[in-house]
Amino acid sequence: MTPKVCLVMRQFGLFNRAWTQILRNLGIDYTLCTATGVSAGVNIQTPQGVLSASNPDLRGYFRQFDAVILCDNTNDLAATSLINYSVFWLRWNDTEDPAFLFFNPHFSAAITDSAYNSNFPSDFPIVRPDPSDIAGTLYPADGGSATSVDPLIQTATRARGMCVLFLAENIRAHVQTICNTHTNRIPYYWRLDTAKHSALVSAAYTHRVARNGRAGEILAVPAPPTSSEDTETYPTDCVVAYRYRNCFWLPHAMARTPRAVNLWDADVSPFVFWLLYGLQLAGVRPRYRLPVQIETSRPLEALDASFNPPYSLREQCDFLLASWDWMREFARRKGTAIIGGVTTGGRDRNTSSRQHWAILYNTSFPAEAREAAMRVHQILVAGHREGTTPCGPHDYTIGGGDGLWGSAVSAGYIRHAGRQRGTPNDVPIARGMYCVAPHVLPADVADRGAQTVQVGDIEMVEWDFTGRTSGTGTTFDLPMDNIHAARMIIEGHIDEMLALGFPDGYCAGHRYTNTAANNSGGECYWQALKEFGFRGVRSSSNCTGINIKRVPPNRIWHGFHLVGDEAVDNCSSGAVFSRGLYLPSAPSGGDAVRHYLLDHGSDISANWATGQVAAWRAYRRLLCQTTGTWLHSAVVELSSAYFHPNQSLMCVSLADAVAPFEGWSRLGPYGTPHYNHAVELLENMDAVVRLLPEYLYWGTITDVMDHRERVMG
Amino acid sequence: MPLTPTLIGHISQGDARAVSRQNRLPVDATAPDTLLVATTTVTDAANRDLLESTSTELPTLDGCMQYRKLVWFYFRASDAATTYRVLARATDHNGAPLGAGWQEIVPATTLPGGANSWGRIEIPSAGDGYYDQYRIEVRRTAGSSYTLTSKIVGVR
Repeated sequence: MTPKVCLVMRQFGLFNRAWTQILRNLGIDYTLCTATGVSAGVNIQTPQGVLSASNPDLRGYFRQFDAVILCDNTNDLAATSLINYSVFWLRWNDTEDPAFLFFNPHFSAAITDSAYNSNFPSDFPIVRPDPSDIAGTLYPADGGSATSVDPLIQTATRARGMCVLFLAENIRAHVQTICNTHTNRIPYYWRLDTAKHSALVSAAYTHRVARNGRAGEILAVPAPPTSSEDTETYPTDCVVAYRYRNCFWLPHAMARTPRAVNLWDADVSPFVFWLLYGLQLAGVRPRYRLPVQIETSRPLEALDASFNPPYSLREQCDFLLASWDWMREFARRKGTAIIGGVTTGGRDRNTSSRQHWAILYNTSFPAEAREAAMRVHQILVAGHREGTTPCGPHDYTIGGGDGLWGSAVSAGYIRHAGRQRGTPNDVPIARGMYCVAPHVLPADVADRGAQTVQVGDIEMVEWDFTGRTSGTGTTFDLPMDNIHAARMIIEGHIDEMLALGFPDGYCAGHRYTNTAANNSGGECYWQALKEFGFRGVRSSSNCTGINIKRVPPNRIWHGFHLVGDEAVDNCSSGAVFSRGLYLPSAPSGGDAVRHYLLDHGSDISANWATGQVAAWRAYRRLLCQTTGTWLHSAVVELSSAYFHPNQSLMCVSLADAVAPFEGWSRLGPYGTPHYNHAVELLENMDAVVRLLPEYLYWGTITDVMDHRERVMG
Repeated sequence: MPLTPTLIGHISQGDARAVSRQNRLPVDATAPDTLLVATTTVTDAANRDLLESTSTELPTLDGCMQYRKLVWFYFRASDAATTYRVLARATDHNGAPLGAGWQEIVPATTLPGGANSWGRIEIPSAGDGYYDQYRIEVRRTAGSSYTLTSKIVGVR
């Protein structure tokens, strides 16, 4: 049966397009209905007519859907109305009625609408929030601190963290959770009326969404701490998700802002977990499950002393070895493939230890470091061959450090040797002086050195390459704006990947790579990549280092995928590497808390030295933030989340680099808590995937590109 | 068994015609494409495009050669005085702009409409475009910042 839901909202001007983007990606049909107002007496405009909110005909109309979703929410508990019209639907509980999904619903005691209050079910078990008695009706969440701005509309920063225990599934997962908030910008969880809840649990109830056969069910609660250091606990009557008959009371899922979803929009919707979870609870069976996968940039990299890292080159390779061993095993168990963008160019152009080749073979580095690096490399090669850690080229040594078309001219470019475009061959490195389409090219005009070039659906005959060839030498200034340069660069990449021992240069059967600085070049690079067998690359929307190009709006160019990018590191790139969850002496962006603005009301920084709970708070918020961004990339953008292993893992303990986070019981460098971002992030996403078996699965970048072709066209 | 070449073609005026670059499949090439939907916070910053970029060489839309005209629909939340400017340029077959800078096809012009009003602007206003890249900038010249929701379709 075709999955179908109905979305109800007040006005399109505040409608977040991510609602429908997710549904399209999942293959769930939807209908949009608008309320003519916010009170109980308003009408609902449906495609089949305008009906009052309490009209039995509206109930009959809703029965064609698997679920009805209430889209509107507010950050003001004192508001007297918002979705008052929905009160009647709380009583539409027959087996034929759909599930009703309320996300961050406004059911405040401040609502004065008599029709609302008189129709609100007397047995409803969640205490209605009262802005004049917040302490008596809600529980402050996540430390009870205020976010500096509206927490409901935050995107890729300022997460509010919680580890949630899902009772029926018996799974703990970190997901951004705000049940309600108020003008004070404090997140709250709900308080349960235990007597009413007990009555509902005792009452038999038959509906396809009542998996326990009872009228009430606690779905999720704040997970109890796993460490005595973590003193952030909640009373037993605190809940974050509840099913009342066929009505689901769920946390915030989507900002009420008119966010667009297209090539440029980087506004992350980090609360989408709750939408997916609600849809699954409602029994909405999507046509498609969505693949979850992650990439790394620079899988083998080590910072020399000039960066002042806490670990030596050898030690960095040691924690990378342990972490990649763990990640490879994780990928084996889950059936995913963790893409690695190998820093190429190190063989021909750069001897820095940040380049994969150099740290393996540059004899100026200590032999023990090179040996350790080789062990990491061998895991990557073996993983590439078995499909768990496929690798492709990722080159910062060109374009002024910005990769493909990173600059107008790549000064002092040093090319590879051999092959069609390597030394000593004298080949074009710029377009010919004259370029004419073959179907309008008069006879005997092009000279004998003419070449036919095709870029997309444009075919040209080019000639007169005088002064526009490489010569026979190795080093020259390479104009980056043409397909000849693109072919030379990519041929060199693949040559280096093969020389490194990889069987191919494009992530094996995935025919993909992630590009340095997320610069995919432009049409000429996409064409050249296609010619070398690539199916797609990761790319930012402004795809050159000099900001002269944009990717196509649908991010597919002549069948070539330009997959979006969402970084989920635990520090900023400018800070070079992570100093851990929080370190007062770290540079700007050098720890997770400051990178993601997670220090709400100084409740981490002010307590760091004296309150052990601060580290757990930072841990929760970081996992919620990065998991939310990753999930957004998987279900909204169909793009790729990625992190930099060396950069993000610099804060692990060498004693056991892949140990779980244990607060102050296990310390990393700087005397602060050990934290392995790869282990924690992948394990947390695995909990999310296990919670949503009908919506998500561990897949690969091939699955992502396949699905993009299915739904993006 | 001899190999038989596969011919892709179509029937036109009773004749079988092979597909070639000059004789393409007779698909509906007139259907407009949605190229962009964006919500822009309109500020008083100079050189700021619909994607809120102030990088002056960065196009708002790329790969538009196939469109003779862009139609920009918008809904503005405020009547704060605002100007828009449209820049365009062509690229070579590699995607490289023929030169730096832009051809200004609409100089800074008042954006029509009041608060909560709709608008429609054709780009270019007369004749055909066929430019590869467009940059569409908006700038508030008085009042407070507000949101401008845009949709741009490409017409072949």
